[in-house]
Amino acid sequence: MDYLTIALPKGKLFDKSVKVLAKVGYAADNVVEDSRKLVITNEETKVKFIIVKTMDLPTYVEYGAADIGIIGKDVLLEQRKDVYELLDMGYGKCHLMMAVPAARVLPNIMDYTHMRVATKYPNSAVEFFDKMGMQMEIVKLNGSIELAPIVGLSELIVDIVETGTTIRENNLKEVATVYPSSARLIANKVSFKLQHQRIKKLVRDLKKVLKEEAQP
Amino acid sequence: MTRNLLQIPYGTKDILPGEARMKRNMEDRIAKNFLAWGYDEAITPTFEYADTFDLSGADLPDESMKFLGRDNRTFMLRSEMTTPLARMVVTRMSPVEGVKRLFYIANVFRHEETQAGRQCEFCQAGVELFGEANAQADAEVLALAVQSLKAAGLGHFILSIGHSGFINGLLEDAELTPAQTERVKQMILSHNSVALEKAADVISFEPVQKMLKQLLYLQGGPDMLRNLHKHASNPKSQEALDNLLEIYSLCEAYGVTEYLSFDLSLIRNFDYYTGMVFEAYGPQIGFNICGGGRYDTMMAKFGSPMPATGFAMGIDRIILALRREGRFKDQSTWDMYVAWPEGSEKKAIAKAMQLRGDGRTVKVATSPMSYEEAAGACPMNRCEALVYVK
Repeated sequence: MDYLTIALPKGKLFDKSVKVLAKVGYAADNVVEDSRKLVITNEETKVKFIIVKTMDLPTYVEYGAADIGIIGKDVLLEQRKDVYELLDMGYGKCHLMMAVPAARVLPNIMDYTHMRVATKYPNSAVEFFDKMGMQMEIVKLNGSIELAPIVGLSELIVDIVETGTTIRENNLKEVATVYPSSARLIANKVSFKLQHQRIKKLVRDLKKVLKEEAQP
Repeated sequence: MTRNLLQIPYGTKDILPGEARMKRNMEDRIAKNFLAWGYDEAITPTFEYADTFDLSGADLPDESMKFLGRDNRTFMLRSEMTTPLARMVVTRMSPVEGVKRLFYIANVFRHEETQAGRQCEFCQAGVELFGEANAQADAEVLALAVQSLKAAGLGHFILSIGHSGFINGLLEDAELTPAQTERVKQMILSHNSVALEKAADVISFEPVQKMLKQLLYLQGGPDMLRNLHKHASNPKSQEALDNLLEIYSLCEAYGVTEYLSFDLSLIRNFDYYTGMVFEAYGPQIGFNICGGGRYDTMMAKFGSPMPATGFAMGIDRIILALRREGRFKDQSTWDMYVAWPEGSEKKAIAKAMQLRGDGRTVKVATSPMSYEEAAGACPMNRCEALVYVK
């Protein structure tokens, strides 16, 4: 049997993903987020884990460096990689939204046309504004997006929120939702065919476990 | 400064000696195999009128490289080889009717993000079989694809086969609005099982709903096809399954079924393919290394309705897969190094010509040298053996 390589994203999806995968028999010693080892192997079950940066994960899977992975739908929508999207894991719920400083909320979304937008998600932002017929100036940042309007780098932001606390603490107000997101199981195009039975079983088992967990 | 000026554009590549020689050898093996199956080579222009590509529907318009000619008509670097060959058959090869088998090994051009083994300029080898609609033609093309990948040197690969008729039959039975159908097609093309399951909920006809939800998992051998046949609700899907089973049974005669597997969600391009479609994959590389299928409506767009089937394989991706299998070694040695002392150059030339006549690869020293110098020069010139002519 060939190894099945699973890519896990650093960050908020990590712990939950490790737990869920262990429940369906995909586990290895020392799968921890700050692992020194880059590849963690379980020889018995023929599984390899690699832990990668969130935004890089779809690339690993698209190229087949990992056979499957777990990643937020937001990252998939932003990166548009050619991968199989097999399962909505149900956790990691958040949404991409547009926010402005609370003091500068305008009556209509269209009123923000031509303003500067700070975001980590330029493709998603452009698509969203294009649909509304709005031309914007996109400022691509890699983190701390909320800072941009405070220091005058942009008039508004497009960013991911879970609870909205950070947004509120920085006196920002959400004015539109771009799309909702949650964790997804993805697979490489070729791996999905060459390791079909194994991946099919994994999806079936995960569905069962996630369903059981969802029940109170 | 100069160094920067001397770079090559994004998505292009130099193939250095060694790799180039191996690539040429590989292409020769592939070409010989195409010829053995009765396919004849054709060479078409590197660029053509963009209108020709627009007409065929085979092209990916966003990716094409276009420029203006002197008469301000738009030219396009060929983005694939099927359209040029089809154009050639219709305009240059009379009578148009009758079966034609053609092959090509050519570079094509696309503005795309470079991926594993795929640059903006890349090499494709492929065949087209014009003028025959039956399963024999499709089986021949499939079996030839298997043999060509083997001729290229690949050991492990599978051909995944689907059928556009199967999915189209399902979609017709689903009774969706045109907009909903379009969305479902998009989900199938992007392999989005999550969205597909949700979208299928609106379908009231249960067998179709179930099959669409499971579509990406409809993978397996001929038994799966037979089993599906019992559950298929519409004649179009059933015909597609019959067609695939007939193709498969012919492939048994070709002795290639160990490389075949079915994937009924495989579609490649809804508007272009009209029957059997397939892609080939190897474990070494996350992308398909070969793809093709039946396209019976395209020739009508060129004014000569005619069925057709064929495939293209990505030479650069195959090289990458071979490298990962450890089977692609740059070959950059010669058999003999012929060296000579002052005054013996004519004898050395005669010796080299004799050795070349015997089929050896030979380098001749460009200046006189002692035996000791020659013994050092021989390995430096990557030659296996030294011939010192006094």
